Amino acid sequence: MYRSKARLPAALALAAMAASPMAYGKPIAYAHGTTVMAEYGADTMSEFQVFYAPRYFFSAGAGYLRLERETDGSTHEIAYARLNYLVKRWNLPDAQANVFAWGGAGGANVDDGSDEFAWNTGVQIDYETRRVYLSAKTDYYDSPDFSHRIDTLQLGLAPYEHDYEDLATWFVVQARDYTGGIHDGIEWALLLRLFKGGTWVEAGATTDGKFQAMLMFNF
Amino acid sequence: MLRFFILVAALVSVSTVQADTIEMKVNGLVCGFCARGIEKTLRRNPATADVYVSLEDKLVAVALHEGQDIPDAELAKEIADAGYTVTDIQRTATPIADIRARLEQDAE
Repeated sequence: MYRSKARLPAALALAAMAASPMAYGKPIAYAHGTTVMAEYGADTMSEFQVFYAPRYFFSAGAGYLRLERETDGSTHEIAYARLNYLVKRWNLPDAQANVFAWGGAGGANVDDGSDEFAWNTGVQIDYETRRVYLSAKTDYYDSPDFSHRIDTLQLGLAPYEHDYEDLATWFVVQARDYTGGIHDGIEWALLLRLFKGGTWVEAGATTDGKFQAMLMFNF
Repeated sequence: MLRFFILVAALVSVSTVQADTIEMKVNGLVCGFCARGIEKTLRRNPATADVYVSLEDKLVAVALHEGQDIPDAELAKEIADAGYTVTDIQRTATPIADIRARLEQDAE
């Protein structure tokens, strides 16, 4: 069965090899910045993204997403080019809030080995202070053979207020819902998020004991 | 004699107006990535010698190369281009290292 417990070392290796702040951070880090991100999500999804932001409100790049159906173990692999856009930002004295949107197109490989055109779109709303982080994100993928939507909610709490050169520590509770038979029901996860400088590391587990991790580099 | 003192006072006054550092209060500074984006943008300006960012104080300090300056409008645009909002700009002769030391001391 694809949910082998022996996957933990492989997941760690994958996370270590890959790297980004996109999946649970923001799809645009900062102007003139490059973001590289890799995520491993509890046996159900793996994603890799690279984006460059010429402006603070716009980034472009490419990604790869692999989804594995919990119901039958079948997989979908999607490679895409994507544009991310900051629709609105609120800069408050002690907080920041954002609305991001993105869209992309590429190809999908399904179980029978055929390649198809696939497109994707999504929206993220987030609010952040130095102690609290809230985000809601929806990601939609579509091809002639399948469609998936991945909805993710996150609540993060920081035990202390970090400053620029400090290590930032966050405890994050995540709820994720997949459509299209990827996972049955809401997938809950508890994550530890650390970042300093341009490096972001996040790891944790779902309530059914599956490993989840993300690495991101901004430079 | 009086004119001499007035002249000296004027010269002293002019010299103290010469800013070595610009301190800006900025809204939206909540994370290290925010600070990193602002620092990266400001360091692209040829007049910038150094940048210090304090999330705690919502402060961005820019040390200027000797004899150079960055107009307020240009600073505000650069911060806006980094995605943030300037609420106040002050010029000072205090070196950026002293500002950093003062704020770190205040935080303790």
